[in-house]
Amino acid sequence: MTPVEAGMLGQVALLAAAVASALLVPSARWRSRVSGILCALLAAAGVVTGAIALSGGRGALTIPTTLPMDPLVLSPDRLGGLVMVVVSVVGVLASLFGIGSARVASASRTAWASMAVFLFGMQLVPAATDVVSFLLFWEIMTLGSTALLLAHHATRGTVASALVWYSAMSQLSFFFVLAGFAVLAGATGGTGFAALATLDPSSWQASLAFVLLLLGFGGKAELVPLHVWVPRVLPEAPGHVAAAMSGAMVNIGVYGALLVCVRLLPNGPAWWGVLIMALGAVSALYGILQASVASNLKVLLAYSTTENMGLVFLGLGASVLLRGDHATGAADAALLAALLLMVSHAAFKATLFLGAGAVARSTREMNLDRLGGLGSRMPWTAGAFGAAALGAAALPVTSGFVAEWMLLQALVHGSRVGGEVVSVTSSVAMPLAVAVIALTAGLALLTFVKAYGIAFLARPRSAQATAAREVPLIMRIPLIIGALLVIGLGLLPGPLTVALASAVGPAFTPDVRTIGLAGVDARGIDVVLDPTTFVALAALVLLPVLAAILISARRHPTRVSPLPWAGGGSRLRPRMQYTATSYAEPLVRVFDDVLRPTRDVEVTHVGESRYLVERVHVEQTVSDVIETRFYRPVLGLAQRFGVLARRAQNGSIHRYLSYSFVALLVVLIVVSL
Amino acid sequence: MFDTVFPQLIGLCTGALLLTSALMVWRHSLLASIRLLSVQGFALAALVAVIGLEEGEAEVIIVSVLVLLVKGMALPWVLAHETRATTRTDEAPRLNPTAGLLTVALLTILSYVVASRLLSGDTSISAHAAPIGLAMVLIGFLLLVTRRQAGSQLIGFLVLDNGIATVAFLTSGGVPLFLELGISLDVLLVVVILYVFAGRMRNKFGNTDIDQLRKLHD
Repeated sequence: MTPVEAGMLGQVALLAAAVASALLVPSARWRSRVSGILCALLAAAGVVTGAIALSGGRGALTIPTTLPMDPLVLSPDRLGGLVMVVVSVVGVLASLFGIGSARVASASRTAWASMAVFLFGMQLVPAATDVVSFLLFWEIMTLGSTALLLAHHATRGTVASALVWYSAMSQLSFFFVLAGFAVLAGATGGTGFAALATLDPSSWQASLAFVLLLLGFGGKAELVPLHVWVPRVLPEAPGHVAAAMSGAMVNIGVYGALLVCVRLLPNGPAWWGVLIMALGAVSALYGILQASVASNLKVLLAYSTTENMGLVFLGLGASVLLRGDHATGAADAALLAALLLMVSHAAFKATLFLGAGAVARSTREMNLDRLGGLGSRMPWTAGAFGAAALGAAALPVTSGFVAEWMLLQALVHGSRVGGEVVSVTSSVAMPLAVAVIALTAGLALLTFVKAYGIAFLARPRSAQATAAREVPLIMRIPLIIGALLVIGLGLLPGPLTVALASAVGPAFTPDVRTIGLAGVDARGIDVVLDPTTFVALAALVLLPVLAAILISARRHPTRVSPLPWAGGGSRLRPRMQYTATSYAEPLVRVFDDVLRPTRDVEVTHVGESRYLVERVHVEQTVSDVIETRFYRPVLGLAQRFGVLARRAQNGSIHRYLSYSFVALLVVLIVVSL
Repeated sequence: MFDTVFPQLIGLCTGALLLTSALMVWRHSLLASIRLLSVQGFALAALVAVIGLEEGEAEVIIVSVLVLLVKGMALPWVLAHETRATTRTDEAPRLNPTAGLLTVALLTILSYVVASRLLSGDTSISAHAAPIGLAMVLIGFLLLVTRRQAGSQLIGFLVLDNGIATVAFLTSGGVPLFLELGISLDVLLVVVILYVFAGRMRNKFGNTDIDQLRKLHD
């Protein structure tokens, strides 16, 4: 038995143990501890298995079946191993955090059992080497996450409607994936990935399958237009569940897209790349725009996931397009950037959602307009959230920066090889993509300044925020690990990049190596990034300046008595501060046509006076344009059709009997003709 | 001697089957329909017995006794018992008797046309009479569609079942004993279940008009 096989069997055993403990331990407190630790161990087994597979270890488990098709084999390759590691690391953090955060509903038997099932399914999807086992674990993952959300159904009424959206969208993307694989299997006559990979990418079946699979996997990766479940479901989920869904599950969608573009159908036609890029660009822009005006912290983070996944797909699409143009170096670099972005997104988004979970636990409030001043009350959470927010805004010395830098470099260098324009398509698409990324990056900066600044800085805007306390140690540990991952991957990106480059072989062979302490040298496009040198140089320049400022500040005496008037500044009240809504106001004005906000201003007068105002209540809600303009009409149409169909199906037994009778007569008449 | 009488006997039995089915469409009284059903059961049993005598198989004779007991006696008795125990509710069908009889005629013609296509190669007496079975199936279905009371529905269902049995006996010379046993028990069971169900309906709604069953409840 190889280590990979042992690792996968270990995951099965730990799943059984975790489910058993979730069902059998009677006390909620101990159930959380035992099941949480077992879930963390399950995820840790996934980390180890994935790491071995990523470093080249092999092993195969065959699921016994009597169905007449290719055998169901679980055998992660390097790419599968990579995704398994990413997903499992998030799983470890989420499980540990869950131990501390789980209260009544989230510590229920259902919640912990389905958490284990969810993690297990997610970790083994990348190990599948054939369509059936892939779809099997895909569905286990979806069912686990649905049951996990359902566990909170009892406490909040809104969960039910969110779940209906989630289930419908999951089934829709499952349908697309199933249809896509069915087309491939029909064209090649096999169900194993090795058999599917024999299809010629230029055939029409390949193109049809590609479009179906892209829609299906895009739905799991929260891309527009299949993203509508995200802003409903993630705010309803507790922090650790949202972290597992938004930090880990989306990567399975990315893995699916990678499977198609890297493993099954590499060297696809150029329009595939353009299609992926368009989908990614629209998702990135739409996601970050919605995030920048959201005032619910979890909704903001949920939409930011759509943005980041959009960028991942943008990179992937650029890679496909450039490869079609034979700009191999840039194509490999773009693919590498997409992978880097996926890994860094997993790190910072998990941390951000865990941070949001910590805030929710301490304040029971997710509306940014009612938070504030948490930085001094929850220093650890604030620090971790801040580091992750830097990553999400793609600022230097975080993993997000490395990824977006690599993506930009690939796109900038992509449209020319040796000074020659490679094709008209890419010389139009690449600058457009760069512009999209630039706009996205700017809006992301604004979004996360808002998220961090309004929630953690300034003064508390509500009593709950004033009374907030730091979360217990078991919840701080995953937060800190997450933040360290974000910073660590940003400072030392070399080894990770080399590992990623090895994962996408043999179809793609990015030429990258580590330079300096742990910098990146992408030789395919001749660029070098060494964050540690950058930090050292910055420190060399900044430290003397900082020292000079401190020394000169000491020379000035400090004021002991407050100024009598101080420009009104000495009597600042929390309500004078910026709120999340007011901070995003300029953006709402600029993007009014896309966002279509509805404002509700309610003025209460003092007594009978028309001029004295007691209070003004302003509420602004931004609707999801795609939901109101696309899904609502479609649903309305379906409902109208349903009403029509009800005339034929009115519940009368006689009518149903008549249908059968008439059908029988018609058959007989046809036979006798 | 028997060979010359055989076609007449087959014709007599199947004629009785068709006649009783048509009369059931005509009559509205539930008890009259049940009596007709009993006659139909006897006719079916006689048909099976004639086929058994002609083929000289003892097993088919046993089957005919079984059919006599179940379809001629047990089922009509169960239905009549249920109907007598309650207040008489006569059927107000959706089709008046004249239209009903016309439809029966059309259905019979249709089944002859269909059967002439399906069994064109078979010239035996039994196969010649098979359209009667098909006509009974269609008439049973017609009863199901046009009758409102649960009891009449049951009768329609039984006529349909008799039609299937008739076709089976005429075309294949009878089914094996154990199979017939199973089918008879099945039908008996279904009737008992529906009988209980109709009783519950009456307790709940005061009548057994299935037109009122339109909505699903948890």
